[in-house]
Amino acid sequence: MSRLSFILRRLGRSVFTIWFAVTVTFLLLRLLPGDPALAIASPNMTDDARAALLTQYGLDKPLIAQYGIYLFELVRGNFGTSFTQSIPVMNVLLQRLPWTLLLTFTALLLTVLVGIPLGVLAASKKGRFIDKFVQIVGVTGQSIFVPSIGVLLLFVFGLNLRWLPIGGAYDTNAYGMAWYGSVISHLILPAVSLMLIQLGSYVLTMRSTLIEALGEDYVTLARANGLPYRRILWKHALRNALLPTTTLIGLQLGFLVGGAVLTETVFAYPGIGRGIYEAVTQLDFPVLQGAFLLLAVTVVVANMLTDIVYGFLDPRVKTS
Amino acid sequence: MRKRNLSIAVAAAAALIALSACAPSAPPASTSTAATAGSDTLTIATTTDVVNYNPLIGNSRSDYWVTNLMYPHLLSIADDGKKEPQVATKWGYVNDTTGFYDLRSDMKWSDGTPLTAADVAWTMNAVKKDAPSGTFYGQMANFVSATAVSDTRVEIALSKPDSSIVEEIGFWGNVVPKHVFEKAASVAKFANDGTDGGWVSAGPYTLKTVQVGQSYSMDRVDSYPLVEGGVPIAAKVVYRVFPDINTEILALQSGEVDAIANALPPAQVAQLKSSSGITVEEVGGLGYAHMTYNMKNADLAKLQVRQALAASVDYDAIRKVVLQDQAVSTGSSPLMPVLSDYYDKSLTEYTFDTDKARQLMQQAGYTADSSGNFPVAFKFIYSLQDSVTSQWAQLVKDGAAKAGITINLVGTERNTYLAATAKGDYDIYAGNFAIMDDPVTNFTLAYLPGGAINYSLVDDPALNDLIAQGTVATDTASKVAIMQKAAKIVHDQVYDNVMYTQNLFFAHSSKWEGFVTKPSELLSIVNPLSVASAHKVG
Repeated sequence: MSRLSFILRRLGRSVFTIWFAVTVTFLLLRLLPGDPALAIASPNMTDDARAALLTQYGLDKPLIAQYGIYLFELVRGNFGTSFTQSIPVMNVLLQRLPWTLLLTFTALLLTVLVGIPLGVLAASKKGRFIDKFVQIVGVTGQSIFVPSIGVLLLFVFGLNLRWLPIGGAYDTNAYGMAWYGSVISHLILPAVSLMLIQLGSYVLTMRSTLIEALGEDYVTLARANGLPYRRILWKHALRNALLPTTTLIGLQLGFLVGGAVLTETVFAYPGIGRGIYEAVTQLDFPVLQGAFLLLAVTVVVANMLTDIVYGFLDPRVKTS
Repeated sequence: MRKRNLSIAVAAAAALIALSACAPSAPPASTSTAATAGSDTLTIATTTDVVNYNPLIGNSRSDYWVTNLMYPHLLSIADDGKKEPQVATKWGYVNDTTGFYDLRSDMKWSDGTPLTAADVAWTMNAVKKDAPSGTFYGQMANFVSATAVSDTRVEIALSKPDSSIVEEIGFWGNVVPKHVFEKAASVAKFANDGTDGGWVSAGPYTLKTVQVGQSYSMDRVDSYPLVEGGVPIAAKVVYRVFPDINTEILALQSGEVDAIANALPPAQVAQLKSSSGITVEEVGGLGYAHMTYNMKNADLAKLQVRQALAASVDYDAIRKVVLQDQAVSTGSSPLMPVLSDYYDKSLTEYTFDTDKARQLMQQAGYTADSSGNFPVAFKFIYSLQDSVTSQWAQLVKDGAAKAGITINLVGTERNTYLAATAKGDYDIYAGNFAIMDDPVTNFTLAYLPGGAINYSLVDDPALNDLIAQGTVATDTASKVAIMQKAAKIVHDQVYDNVMYTQNLFFAHSSKWEGFVTKPSELLSIVNPLSVASAHKVG
C-alpha cells in the first residue's frame, strides 16, 4: 500500500469516528435525566414559560428531527446557539479551546520528556533501587485523584512558597512579553498535575518494552560485537521500544483531555473542560455537542498523526 | 534513515506551528488612564462564570452579582427583612388595583442619559410582554401594565388586588436602559453581551472587559448617588472565577483576591475566622432548609405519619454537627425569625422523640414487625450538589430508622433532582429556599394548589383561604395576623418541616473594610452599595 493510500484510509476512518462520536454525543445528551428548561430558567416558572423555552430551543420536536437539523446545520458549519448564553456555540468554544490545547499539549510534552527517560533509567537499572523507586513514583501518580494533586501543589507552591499564581491562565494586568510570562507561570502547576497522573503509564510502558527489547537477539549480537552499552540502549533498543509508547501517546490523549476537566476546575483554568462541566450542570446541549465534537476531532487528529508517525517509524504498518 | 528523521522533524515542526496558531494571544495594552488616588481594584472571587448579561434573564449567582452592579433595583432589603429604598424613594398603593413608585431624580445611565420612570415602566412592560425566564417575570402574575406618569413616578395596574406585588417587583426586578434594550426584538432573547458597543450602567460600576473563564473587569461610574459621597470608592472591581471553593479560599489567603462572593461552607468558617489577614462577616439568611412530605402518598397523607417523621429528626444535632452552630431554628415555621414582623414565637420546634414517633405510627394504624420496623418506606430526594443537605439527609434517615420508619435516600445530581421534583417523583423532598422575603408571595407559591414550589402538593381549604385573605390585606397588622394563622396550619399539619435558617458567612481580606452587609447570599457583601463603599484600610 502506498503512503498516500495509507494516509487516505486513516483519514476516512477518522471521519467515520467523528460522525460516530457526534451521533453518540447527541443521543447521550438526550438520554440525560433532567429538563433543560428547568436547568436554564428558574424552577418556579410556569408551564407556559417552560413550553415556550422548549419550543425556542427546538426541543419540542421529535428526536429524529432534532438530529437531522443538528447534522444539517453542522455540515454548514453552524454549531447552534447556546441555550443559556444566547450566543453562537462557536464563540463560546473558541474562547476556551486554545487554553485546553495549550494545557494538554504542554502536559503531553512534559510527560513524554520526563516519562521516557525515567522509563529508560528504570529499565537499564532493572531490579535495583532506582528501578523500584521510579515504579513507585509512577504508580502513585496514577493512583492519586487529580484535584488532590492540584490542591496540594497550589497549597505548597501558590500559598506557602508564593512561587506560582493560585489560579487563572494569565495575569489580567500583564501586557506584551509580561503577558506571555504570566501565561507560562499560570501553566506550570496545572500542566505538572496532568503530567503526574499520566507519567506512570509512560514510565511503565517504556520500562517493560525496553527490558523486552534489551533481551532481543540483535542486542546480544551488538554486545558480542563490542558496542558500548549506552549506544545499544539509546540507539538500538530504545528505537524499537518507542513504538508502543508512540501508540500510547495517541491512546492517552483522550484521558488527558478528560483529566483536563478536573484540572481546569481546580486551577480555575479557562479551558473547554470547565466549559463542559458548566454546560453539563446547565444542560446546555449545543455547547456540549460542540465541545465534544471539537475534542473528538482533536483526539482523532492526534491519533491519526500518531498512526502516520508510527507508519514512518515501522514500515511494516503501511502494508498491514 | 536520515530522510525519515528529517520527515519526522518537519512533521513535528508543522504540528508546533499549527499549535501556536491555536495558542492564546496576548491582549492589546490597556488604554485606560494611569492610576491615581482612589485607584484601588477590588478583586472578588466567584465560583462560576457569568452566563447571562441580561438581568431580566440571568439566573445564576454570578449573573446576579455582576449585573446588579449595573442595573439597579427599585428596592433593597434590610437585615430585618423589610424593604428599603434604592431607586424608589416611596412605594405603595393608590387603590386596590393600582400601585406606585416614586423615584429618585438624580440617577443616570453611564452614557449620560437620565434614568427616569420611562425606563422603569418600559422594563416592567417588556418583561410582562416577553416573559423572560428569570425571577422577575415570576412575580408578575397580577401585573397588567406600568405607566410613567411623570419622570419620577410609575404607576402599575393590577388585574386584582395584590398586597405584595409592589414590593416584590421592586425588590426582584432590575431596571434596564430603555434606549439600549428596546432595540432588541424581545428582552427574553437579548444577550446584552456588550458586542454592540459595550454596556450602559446605572449602578456603581460598568462592565468593561470579559475574559471568559477567568475574569470580569468593571470600571467605576462617574456618579452613583446611592453611595456616600456620590462616587464609588474602588476604581475597579474585578470578579475572578474559581470553580473550586478550596482554590478560591487559597486565593484569598494568598492575597490574589480581596473577597469571596460565595457564602463559606460551614466547615471552613472557623478556620478562616482564625486566619490572620482574613475578616469573616456574618449575615442573616433570608431562606430556609426544609423537608416536605408528599401529600399524594397515602401514608404521608396521614397527619400522624407526618408528625412521626417530624418527631424522628434530631434538629439540634443537625444544626450542631452539620452546620456547626451556624443556623437557627425557625420553630418549625415558614415564618423565620429574620422576618421580625411576622415571626411567631408561640410556634415551637418539633420535639425529637423517637418513642413518641413510634406511638404516632401505631395511632396511625401501623404495626411494627419483630425487628421494630413499620411497613412503610419513603423515597427521600435531595441534590448531591448541596453538601449540607447531603450530610443531614443521613441523620434524618438514621433518626427515622430509630422510630421504625424506613427512608431510602436518593441523592442525585441537580438536574435529575429538579426533574424528579417537577414530576412529584418523591415521598420526601429535601432542599433549600434561598430567599423567602415576603410571606404572602411565598405561601402562595409553596402552599396553594398549583403553586410553583408547592412540593408537598398540599391543598388545604383553610390554608388556601388564609393565603387569599393575606393577598388582599393592605393593612400590615392584619396581614401579619393572617399569615401567622396560615403558618400555624402549616406547622400543626406538618405540611412543611422547616429545619433551620442558615446564617451565612463571607470572607474578605482585612486590608479592605467598609462593606455593607445585607441578608442572603445574593446580596451579602457584594450588593451594589457594599461594593461601592468598600475601601482599603488606611
